[in-house]
Amino acid sequence: MQSTAAAPANPTELYERFADDAALAERLGFRSIWSAEHRAWYDGWCPALVHAQAFAAARTERLRFGHAILLVPQHDPLRLARALATLDRLSGGRVDLGAGMGHRDAEFDMLGLRRDRRGRLMDAALDALSAVWAGEHGDAPPLQRPGPPVWIGGMAPQAIARAASRGHGLMLPQTLRPPELRTIVEAYRSQARRPGTVGALRDVWVAADGRRAEAFRRAAEAHYREEAGSWWVLKGQVGFSQPEQLARQLARVSDTQVVGPPERVAEQLNDLYAAGAEFLVLRANFDFVERAELREQLELLAEGVVPLLDPAAARAA
Amino acid sequence: MRLLLEPPAAAGLDALAAAGEAVCAAGLDGVLLAPSPELPAPLVAAAALAARVPSILIAAEVEVGEGHPIEVAEEAAVVDVASGGRLILVAAPAPGREDRAGEALDLIRTALAPAPFRVEGPTWRVPAGLPQNQHNPERRARLTPSPVQPRLEVWGAGGARDAALGRGLGFLAEADGDPRELGAAWARAAAALGPALIGAARARRERFDGDAPALVARLRAGRAAFGQSWAVVAAPARAAQAISRRVRPRVQTDRLPEGLEAHWDATLPR
Repeated sequence: MQSTAAAPANPTELYERFADDAALAERLGFRSIWSAEHRAWYDGWCPALVHAQAFAAARTERLRFGHAILLVPQHDPLRLARALATLDRLSGGRVDLGAGMGHRDAEFDMLGLRRDRRGRLMDAALDALSAVWAGEHGDAPPLQRPGPPVWIGGMAPQAIARAASRGHGLMLPQTLRPPELRTIVEAYRSQARRPGTVGALRDVWVAADGRRAEAFRRAAEAHYREEAGSWWVLKGQVGFSQPEQLARQLARVSDTQVVGPPERVAEQLNDLYAAGAEFLVLRANFDFVERAELREQLELLAEGVVPLLDPAAARAA
Repeated sequence: MRLLLEPPAAAGLDALAAAGEAVCAAGLDGVLLAPSPELPAPLVAAAALAARVPSILIAAEVEVGEGHPIEVAEEAAVVDVASGGRLILVAAPAPGREDRAGEALDLIRTALAPAPFRVEGPTWRVPAGLPQNQHNPERRARLTPSPVQPRLEVWGAGGARDAALGRGLGFLAEADGDPRELGAAWARAAAALGPALIGAARARRERFDGDAPALVARLRAGRAAFGQSWAVVAAPARAAQAISRRVRPRVQTDRLPEGLEAHWDATLPR
């Protein structure tokens, strides 16, 4: 839900589109739709994902709603637990909590929180969610017991350890290459007594035509340049003031995007399964993507790519 | 007078949507959702209801004073945008946090205005300006998205009466309060604020057990005692038609022409 300088949109229309996209994804047989949270940004980026998801969940029946990711340390744990429980009940148990840390100081500062305490805040919040869902504050339990499945976002050793020790799933960032992913999966599985599901994000664009593939790469580069240039801290400085670092980061984003004809997309996604990712969250939705293009992408993925995928390879990895 | 239905606590989406559809079909103004053990986050339920039922207003009663008001404001903004501008945010202080009601209301409304802001209150400072948050810091915060409503409708409730009235905001009174005392509070606010109080929602919770004449009499008495302009009627969804046909027409204008009520009684189904 962004109304950017590159792609302005009516804010209410963005939420209607989200519900429409969810309904289309459901019709096409996708299992779930995942959304990202940020706050206090000029483009209206949605700071209350659970509420947006309730809107879309009310217009779907089977599709699950996940976060990739929700900035758990930036929320009041009791309030978040109740919001998730309410969504879980209203949706008939279709919620996956993707729990991430957040990285923008401005977001933490707006809420009176120290970013350097976010690990402690995360652990306290995860404990509080369990307690609220167990009825310790007088609430009815969520429909899913003991609560919505939790996926820990990130790739830092602390994130791996947190997911492993709590038996939560992992949601790995889109910029990991298969060998890096394999290393992390191995570390996670060796630490976890009962490992959860390992998910991985990936930007995808199905385009048999080389010019369309190139157009996507260019638009995506501009999109990530805005975000990374404005928000990311590279060598202690904001991204735009570190052009070389920024270029390196953007090259990595671009390198790890999966762009091409359906067979090539499937092949690269199968490389992720083979490296141990059991669940892929594919992103083709960006501010610059037109409605009709997104519909086409979802159809191409569902009909041309998904039949070629081999998720069973993840178990063997 | 505008009428919102407060349906019995729903446990799921279908019951919630059914109540909203009944309100919409009956031509009542909207629904009020309060926290319940099954659906403890009324703003989440409000978003789901907005997706299912067009046109009606959706009031969500939330606690303020314990968590950060910025979070409440963000959620309200998102629900207002998703619903196309149909949210009424009803803020009641958390138990024991009545002293923070005014500060919370001020911060929520400041944050919902479409301008960067800086607030230093006794409880909350935004941006906090913490020395540890040093990268790309903001001197003023800006909450986005902006609600659709140019000024999001915010009412106080519970222990926020004086805080709400003193700010020219609406207030939802409980059903069993003393109407004369409520009238005195509104009169004090009018004396203090003058025209700044114009349009503030003077709301009260009501009960409806099927006795339409009793509710009509009570609403007319509320109008006389404290200028009641909104009623939040606790009743099941199936009562929406009766409220809309037998109560609503009788509380819109100051009086009705002689004989009209007798005509309705004679011609409309009971």
